Amino acid sequence: MKKNSAGMHLTDSKRKPFVIGYIFRRLLIMVIMILLVSTMIFLLFRTMPGDPTASMVDPSIPQEARQALLERYGLHESLWTQYKIFMGDLLRFDFGTSYFYNRPVSRVIGDRLPATLILMLTAMLFAYIIGVFGGAWMAWKRGTRLESAGVAFSLVFRSAPTFWVGLMVIMLFAVRLGWFPAQGMRSTGYEGTTFGEIFLSLDFLRHLVLPALTAGLYFLATPTLIMRNSMLEVMSEDYIEMAHAKGLPERRVLYRHAARNALLPVVTAGALFVGAAIGGQVLIEVVFSWPGLGREIVQAVTRSDYPLAQGSFIILSTVVMVMNLIADVLYAFLDPRITY
Amino acid sequence: MALLEVKDLEISYTVGTGSLKAVDGVSFSLNRGESLGIVGESGCGKTTIAKGLMQLLPKNGSISGGSIILDGRELVGLGKEAVRRMRLKDIAMISQSAMNALNPVYTIGDQLIEGIQAHTSMSRQEAYRRAVEVFEMVGLEEKRLKSYPHQMSGGMKQRAVIAMALTLSPPLIIADEPTTALDVVVQDRILHRILKIQKEINSSMIFITHDISVVSEICDYIMVMYGGKVMEMSKTDSFFRKPYHPYSLGLQNAFPIITEEMDELISIPGTPPNLLTPPAGCRFAERCPFAELLCEQKTPEYAEPEPGHLMMCHFPERVEEFRDRSSHTASWDLVRERLIKRMEVSQS
Repeated sequence: MKKNSAGMHLTDSKRKPFVIGYIFRRLLIMVIMILLVSTMIFLLFRTMPGDPTASMVDPSIPQEARQALLERYGLHESLWTQYKIFMGDLLRFDFGTSYFYNRPVSRVIGDRLPATLILMLTAMLFAYIIGVFGGAWMAWKRGTRLESAGVAFSLVFRSAPTFWVGLMVIMLFAVRLGWFPAQGMRSTGYEGTTFGEIFLSLDFLRHLVLPALTAGLYFLATPTLIMRNSMLEVMSEDYIEMAHAKGLPERRVLYRHAARNALLPVVTAGALFVGAAIGGQVLIEVVFSWPGLGREIVQAVTRSDYPLAQGSFIILSTVVMVMNLIADVLYAFLDPRITY
Repeated sequence: MALLEVKDLEISYTVGTGSLKAVDGVSFSLNRGESLGIVGESGCGKTTIAKGLMQLLPKNGSISGGSIILDGRELVGLGKEAVRRMRLKDIAMISQSAMNALNPVYTIGDQLIEGIQAHTSMSRQEAYRRAVEVFEMVGLEEKRLKSYPHQMSGGMKQRAVIAMALTLSPPLIIADEPTTALDVVVQDRILHRILKIQKEINSSMIFITHDISVVSEICDYIMVMYGGKVMEMSKTDSFFRKPYHPYSLGLQNAFPIITEEMDELISIPGTPPNLLTPPAGCRFAERCPFAELLCEQKTPEYAEPEPGHLMMCHFPERVEEFRDRSSHTASWDLVRERLIKRMEVSQS
């Protein structure tokens, strides 16, 4: 607050240095947070019932062979030693080797994460664009049937189980109408090696439509309803009347003055929502056989694949933290009253 | 010809199932450069007149009759786009709550420039220069154009809002209680600045307030409203020398006059009438110490006891007696007793 009251400009140019300093501080805090989260995740998996060897080999193998396996993976060491090794590796971005795939965890996650992120971001973008404009429009149409219909629509998809909506969407658009493929990320036989080949092809986009639609419909209620409420609040503010009194066109008052202010709570809610969105993602990935990280986590946990599960959880926590950081920075640009 | 000619203006609100006339048969005219003060208690229709002139009535309100002629042009029934163009350019409003009248997420400069550009074809630079000019008029530094509202004090925000109203030198400025949110010292300074600017750019002004002393200081004409009707209207000096209407007499009692010695302030007992079920006769009869049966039955006509001095009362000729009696607390105590008795009767 105090720092930039003197240096405010019509443009935001003078504010950016403060934001950069802020981002730097936040990143430092994030590193500490990740280390804490990693410790918790490490302990969580050691207290879980079940033995990783059981999933790797036949339970009937001799005790010696079993012991050899445990030693090979370092699981015979004390918890403290295991923890030291785990954290040491983590600092070198080494998440270990997946028991199940026998590949470095970072490689497995690297293969899966883009698919999850692309699906999630597409769905969120869809939900936020429709939600923000739809919510603003619903506030404008306050008291009409269209507004009630809008509220009902967004609530139905928020309340309905995502896997059920997913199945319905598959039935309608994939089975009945046959417009889009029902499963997977690419058609069989399609081989892509580079990122561009895999994610920027028309084939991928066609596969993306249904899962993104399902996730988007689930996400839709949050931005829509918050935007609507916050618009209603803002529209009774004096500065909105003032904007009318200035003789501004109605559209300009609605979008430039009212919506701009109403957007602030939506951004806050969005940051908090990312965590919940990742949870919902798992079901969607399973229903649509989407080769993403959400599905991988579930499998890794049931297979007692410690390294993979640990690594995935750490990466997902990081994603949530980064999203929150982005929301906070965005907030500083949207609201001049906030300075870091 | 008068700049503004308001004739038999009626403004109604729909409330629940009924509707009420918040402004009922208001007429006045205003020449270029003159100022009119509208006074009255809360809910008497002052602000509704302002909103009606700006066509900024809430959704449940509408102008249900009469005409508003500004510079020879009828404003009632104008289309949306014409109304939009009229705002700020022809009639500018200094809003009631300057504290919240500025959008918190844009700089003051941007908000001024936006207003200018909505009505002219000025470039951003030209509009910026105009903003600097009006800022100078209200006594704000140019660098304040780059401030956000939260970085300014209440007085500065109020001046910024005044500057906004001046950007296009409108022929008519409506100031709706522009200083209520400010402390007395700042209030006085701002009032005088408004007055000075109004003379400078020779625009007419309608000044809405519940503070009758403010009107005595800065307005040429005064209009006293009660329950949506004009009770008394005249030149300010004539009014303060010789008020006629019992309500005006009561209002004057309620404000101290420094030069005269008074034992205590006398307030008018009771509350304004509910306009959903307006009284059959004079709107003020219920609270009037001099009310008679006739007052409760018949709405009085306007009388003109002096040229240019209008008042709405059945007994303009008894004003000397009223004036004398209204300065005694006992007259108003009678009203209080009458109101209490009436309430008891209606409850039992």
